[in-house]
Amino acid sequence: MFVLVVGGGKVGYYLSKELIENGYEVVLMEKDRSRADQIADEIGSIVIAHDGCEGKYLGEAGCARADIVAAVTGDDEDNLVICQMAKHHFDVRRTIARVNNPKNEDLFRHLGVDEIISPTRMILGSIEQDIPVHELLHLAALGEGELEIIEAHLQDGSPAVGRTAGDLSMPEGCSLFAIVRDGVATPLRPDITLRVGDKVIAIGPSDCEARLHEQLIGEDPEAVAQGR
Amino acid sequence: MSESHTPVFRRAVVALAGEPGDERIVRLVSELARPIHGELAAVHVVEVGWSLPLDADIAGRSEEVQRILDNAESVAEESKVRLESVLLQARDVGAALVDEATERQADLLVLGLPYRKRFGGDFAIGRTIPYVLKNAPCAVWVVREPIPEDQP
Repeated sequence: MFVLVVGGGKVGYYLSKELIENGYEVVLMEKDRSRADQIADEIGSIVIAHDGCEGKYLGEAGCARADIVAAVTGDDEDNLVICQMAKHHFDVRRTIARVNNPKNEDLFRHLGVDEIISPTRMILGSIEQDIPVHELLHLAALGEGELEIIEAHLQDGSPAVGRTAGDLSMPEGCSLFAIVRDGVATPLRPDITLRVGDKVIAIGPSDCEARLHEQLIGEDPEAVAQGR
Repeated sequence: MSESHTPVFRRAVVALAGEPGDERIVRLVSELARPIHGELAAVHVVEVGWSLPLDADIAGRSEEVQRILDNAESVAEESKVRLESVLLQARDVGAALVDEATERQADLLVLGLPYRKRFGGDFAIGRTIPYVLKNAPCAVWVVREPIPEDQP
C-alpha cells in the first residue's frame, strides 16, 4: 500500500516513520527544504522538498497511484486543498486530513474529505470526560462523519431530570440508546426515569445537536445569545 | 604495489553514471584490483520517480542501460579483471549506492564527477556525491573529470 503524507512536522514525521516500520511504501512532502533534509537524514530518501498544495508536485510525488493521502500540515486550509486535489484531481480512494480548528470539521466533511482527525477535539473530549460540563460531549463520528455519538451528562437544572426517556422529544433521526448510571452502562428503555448524574448516550446526525442540547442539558446558550 | 602490503581494497563498488568518465574510473579501479585480486561490482542506478512503482519496467530493456553495463565489463576485461555489472532501480541514486556498498560489504566506493558549473558560474557537485560522502560506511573515492578545454 502506497501512502502519501503531506506535512513534515512532528505528526508527519512520526506517521511516516511508523508506516515505514510497518512495511508501507511511503513518500513524505515537506515544503521547508531544511526540515525535509533533516527528515531525510533520519528516515531515508522518502522526502520530497516541495509544497503539497501544488498539483504539479503532488503528481510528481505519485499522488495518482496513492492508496491513501494524509494531509497533516499545521494549516487547515492547506490540508483541505491537498485532500481536495487528491480526491478530485488524482482520484485517490481515501483522504485523511488533520483539522486543527474544530469549527472547520463540518466544512471538511462537506467538501468530501474521507476522514478527519481533530487533535483539538480529541483533547477536548478527554478533558470533558473528567470535568462535568453543561455541554454535550462528542464521543465519535460514524460513517463519513454524518452521524455522531454524543454523551450528555445530566446536571441540576436539566429539563430531562425526572422525566422518562420516552417523554423526551427527540429530533428526527436521533435516538437515545444507552445510559451510564453509577458507572454501569445499560440500554436506555423508554420507561427509565432520568436522574442527576446520569450520562445519556445518543446517536444522530450532527445537525440535531442544538435540539439534543435543549432536551438534555437545557436551552442552548448560543441559541439564546443569538435570539433563536 | 607489493602484495605483501595491505591491499588498497578487497571489494569495490564503482558507480556508473552513463557518462564518458565511466571508462576512466572502471579502468583505474580495474588496474588497482588486478594485482590484489580485488572484487569489482559496477553499479548503474536508474532513478524512478514517485509517480511510478519502484518495480516498473523502465530500465531492464533499455539499450542505453545495456550499453553502459557492457562498456564497463569490456574495460575491466581489457585489464583482465572480472567485473560484475549490476542494474538497480531506486528512488535516489545516492541512497542506492550506499545500500549496495553496505550490502556487499565493500570497502571502497568509487564515483566519477563531471566538471560542471551552475548558472552563475559556481562549481556544481550535485546531490549524489555529498550524500554518499556523508553516508557511505566505506572509503569513498571521487574522481573528478578534467576541466573541459572549452570551459570559460
